[in-house]
Amino acid sequence: MNLPAGIHKTMALVETQDLVKNYELGGETVRAVDGVSLSIDRGEYVAIMGASGSGKSTFMNMIGCLDVPTSGDVRIDGIATSDRDGDALAELRNQKIGFVFQQFNLLARTTALDNVAVPLIYAGLGGEERRAKAQAKLEEMGLGDRLDHSPAKLSGGQQQRVAIARALVTEPVILLADEPTGALDSKTSEDIMQIFQTLNDQGITIIVVTHEAEIANRAKRRIEFRDGKVIEDIAVKKRRTVDP
Amino acid sequence: MIGNLGQKAAGWIVNVAIAMTALRTNLMRSILTTLGVMIGVFAVTLAVAVGSGAQVSVMQSINALGSNMALVFPQPDTGEGGRRSFDRGRLTMRDARAIEKQISGISDIAPQLRSNIQLVVAGRNASTNAIGATPGYGKVSNLVAESGRFITEADVRSAARVVVLGPTVARKLFGDFDPVGETIRINRAPFSVIGITESKGSSFGNDNDDIALMPISTMRQRFSGDTLAGPDDLQMLFVGFEDGVSLPQAKREMTRLLRERYRVRGKDINPFTIRTTEEFMKESAQVTGIFQIVLVAIASISLLVGGIGIMNIMLVSVTERTREIGLRMALGAKRSDIRNQFLVEAAVLCVIGGAMGLILAIAGGTALTVYADFPVPIGVGVGIGAIIFSAFIGLLFGGYPAVRASRLSPIEALRSE
Repeated sequence: MNLPAGIHKTMALVETQDLVKNYELGGETVRAVDGVSLSIDRGEYVAIMGASGSGKSTFMNMIGCLDVPTSGDVRIDGIATSDRDGDALAELRNQKIGFVFQQFNLLARTTALDNVAVPLIYAGLGGEERRAKAQAKLEEMGLGDRLDHSPAKLSGGQQQRVAIARALVTEPVILLADEPTGALDSKTSEDIMQIFQTLNDQGITIIVVTHEAEIANRAKRRIEFRDGKVIEDIAVKKRRTVDP
Repeated sequence: MIGNLGQKAAGWIVNVAIAMTALRTNLMRSILTTLGVMIGVFAVTLAVAVGSGAQVSVMQSINALGSNMALVFPQPDTGEGGRRSFDRGRLTMRDARAIEKQISGISDIAPQLRSNIQLVVAGRNASTNAIGATPGYGKVSNLVAESGRFITEADVRSAARVVVLGPTVARKLFGDFDPVGETIRINRAPFSVIGITESKGSSFGNDNDDIALMPISTMRQRFSGDTLAGPDDLQMLFVGFEDGVSLPQAKREMTRLLRERYRVRGKDINPFTIRTTEEFMKESAQVTGIFQIVLVAIASISLLVGGIGIMNIMLVSVTERTREIGLRMALGAKRSDIRNQFLVEAAVLCVIGGAMGLILAIAGGTALTVYADFPVPIGVGVGIGAIIFSAFIGLLFGGYPAVRASRLSPIEALRSE
């Protein structure tokens, strides 16, 4: 624990220091995240658990650079975020973080290919390069024959796989998933969790927010939140892996 | 540098594609919003075109008078006690000759008398404004005989009973038949038709072809006798100048000459009025300019309403798509990306509306030109201007909603339902 700061930085992919987030609600200050310090290393597979209102989502949004902490700092891949403005954070999200949401958040009336290509627009890539990369990611997700389908013509599982392809298309170092199976049936959830495991095996760092123990048990590490604080941070012993 | 520009251009193309998708998604709403801009651009474009049409029409009317000339006519003056003095307010043939002799740069003069006459032939009749003229009238007014001939010196010397008809009068009396050589009766006296003038169209709603010309001497003998103060009096004098002559200077010289001849001193009112085509043009340009400004100002109100419609719908669009904005931000969109996306959407709406308004204005302008005989020129410049202006309206009224969208916090936008 007494490692020099420089080395520590290169080790940790996500690092938080006394992270605090306050909300003003009806004149009262609610402390959603209350001084959380933790670090997640490259290649980890972390489940963040907790009841609703425990602060897990707020914590997740801050390490995803979507929300700004009241105090404290978040470092992503060694980069401090507290002194970065909105556009710099947008660039950071684009390059380092892939998001997967419960409700998929695909653009309606837009083909799977164009949906996956959206982050590449903001990365400044040209049209052909965007299409090539998006197509490659969709093929990896087994959707090579669904490129021109709009979300309305895809099943829930297929939509979530399009969303995962979108999250991965910029080759981020972290995949942040917020209740990724919350809108899916158990069979489809199984497929998605298998994809996550495969991705983690390939070396991608995965952080999943969930309230389902079933899902959390797929991870290697479990962090539990209550009242804005981490009450448990343990390695998952009886890790459930997908049967071959 | 080139790569950077290419990237920027690609970004805008993507934004146009996003805008088209968004506009298609709410097709009915997009069409209705576009309609507002369309009507606005239609009104403004047509107003600009009608204004410049009026200008063109006025200039044509003035040119129809003769391009480089002065009109001199007696100015009856109400002297002290309001009594009319017959010594003043006169213009005579002698004055005309003096002007021709003493003023330099004159090409021709056209002394005139005017009278309303009745023309009758074979039971058909027409009433028109007749001009008693000399051969000079044709030259000064650029009026030539389309068929037959114009009035000659011989006609004037002999006070011949000959008449040159304008096309309108000829048609009224003879239909499509060429009347040259026919005899008609004017106030019971037989006149021989010697020519038909070429058409001069109409100006200010006046038909320039509804005229008849006869020798000035004939007119004086038969029609103007008692209306004139003296046997040598004129009712109008056109003075044509050679190209390059300064009309203001010629006017000053003519004024000095006529004042001397009528012994006008000091601040006394001149018994005559001199007007030049140049003055007509300047005054008309001023009047039509004001006319155009007023017209465009009124039309702009509809464009303003159209623009407010754009702003309204863009605000709705931003509110409805807050979640999409949040998502795009999460995926790496910068503020400028979001702002540009909505600016382009507004501009696309406006440019489509503008293009339709322009097409409508061209159709309206053509209809006015064809059916109302009023020139409404919509040139390439006006067309391009209308499109650029539409895009500008889009950026202006789409600006606030777009900036509002770009200032949303990513997480709040993403959480919105």
